[in-house]
Amino acid sequence: MIVLEDVHKVYPNGTQALNGVSLEIPEREFAFLVGPSGAGKTTIIRLINRDETVTTGSVFVEATDVTRLRRRDVPHLRRRVGVIYQDYKLLPSLSVRQNVEFVLKATNEFDHLSDGLVEETLATVGLTHRTNHYPHQLSGGEQQRTAIARALVRRCPILVADEPTGNLDQESGWETIQLLVQLNARGTTVVIATHNRTLVDTMRRRVIEIERGRVVRDEPEGGYFG
Amino acid sequence: MARLHVARYLLASALTGLWRNRTMTGGAIVTTAIMLITLAGFLAINDTLNQMVTALGRKSNLIAYVRDEARPTQVTAIIDDLRTRPGVGEVQFVSKEDALAIFESRFVDQRDILDVLQSNPLPASVELRLNNPAVVPELAQELQGMTTVFDDVVVPLDVVEEVIGISNLARVAGSVIIIALTGVTLFVIVNTIRIAVFARRQEIEIMKLVGATDWFVRGPFVAEGAIIGGIGAGIAAIALVVLYAQAAPVVTRIVSFLPVSTDTEFVRNLAVFTLLVGLIVGSLGSYFSVRRYLSV
Repeated sequence: MIVLEDVHKVYPNGTQALNGVSLEIPEREFAFLVGPSGAGKTTIIRLINRDETVTTGSVFVEATDVTRLRRRDVPHLRRRVGVIYQDYKLLPSLSVRQNVEFVLKATNEFDHLSDGLVEETLATVGLTHRTNHYPHQLSGGEQQRTAIARALVRRCPILVADEPTGNLDQESGWETIQLLVQLNARGTTVVIATHNRTLVDTMRRRVIEIERGRVVRDEPEGGYFG
Repeated sequence: MARLHVARYLLASALTGLWRNRTMTGGAIVTTAIMLITLAGFLAINDTLNQMVTALGRKSNLIAYVRDEARPTQVTAIIDDLRTRPGVGEVQFVSKEDALAIFESRFVDQRDILDVLQSNPLPASVELRLNNPAVVPELAQELQGMTTVFDDVVVPLDVVEEVIGISNLARVAGSVIIIALTGVTLFVIVNTIRIAVFARRQEIEIMKLVGATDWFVRGPFVAEGAIIGGIGAGIAAIALVVLYAQAAPVVTRIVSFLPVSTDTEFVRNLAVFTLLVGLIVGSLGSYFSVRRYLSV
């Protein structure tokens, strides 16, 4: 479960990104965060993963108050939340398999390197034939799927995606969303920040609309504009 | 088992990182080696200077001339006491007869002078060879105060003061230069490693974002720093041993008054010191270089 309570966020340059956001996303939910550029969607995602800290208010992830988390406990939160970034954040010097394995090493889960989990995860995202390719040898969709595999391999209960279809053509974007839907069906809470109107209108899932740092609409089965 | 995995990962990551950034690695190793050779070279020069000052100090003598009427038991007691004093090396009693014999042997052509005299005019004396020139002024004052025993005390005070001055200057200047050179070495090595870390800041950011702990991120970099520092120091230590073995006999031959250490223990200690400095500076340099990228 993710809970934001009256969250305000002002960046050091004075930009007010969030202005009293309160929302609750229960377990196994599939929710879209929509709104214009600069509305505060990415800030919400960054607050959930503690990439940023709130100015005032509280953020809870699985009953943990993220805002009160000690620095040394932040890695444990991040191991529970898989984040898929718009720019993928893949390491260019590592192959697809190595990028996925890298997360297991970084989180001290060496045992999973040899138990077939990586192969299984790459098969789930349809990248079995690309395991030894490097990011620059992949299409945007394949890079996105590698990023998803990296988030997926840790079997995080929460998956947060920032504009996962932003750099993809329609077909690749749709494949990516179908993958996230499958994960949600298996019990993963999925939160997607997106501009993709067609996608939101087609899916008819929960829509939380953010505008100027506030929640202006929260519908259980909404479209992009309502 | 998990620890073995982690250790293997740290070493593999460090070696991969070093190889991937081999140009930077090579630069860092060469810089480290040059800085450590300079530092060790200066330490060797400083050691030679200190030995020279100590040797000069050992040449400081003090002569107290004994009154003819002084009682021998009194003189013997003073000599025994002087031998126990810190900074005093040798204490020798030169009797009137000894003094005469020395005079005769040194001034063979002027024996006529002595023949004119009815008795031996030369006084007995107590000669002190000192290990530490700093004790001379105080000791001289003390002996001069014993007016019933000593007639006169001859002190090369100007030489003593000069030696003390040189010794203090060498010590202060040596310490300042060594501290400054260590600081510069640390600065150069840290900055070289910082450039290598900067090139991999994206990797650090991603590690942090997926939940790696600070020490896990730091580990490979600290290992890399230790390897860079260790190899650089190893090169410096080998160069030092070879250069010292070649240079020391030559320097000793050319400027024979310089007490250059030719014993292998000194060079070995210097090489071990260089290795330790390299390892510590390399590890610490990496540790601090990574710190600024960990606040993700």
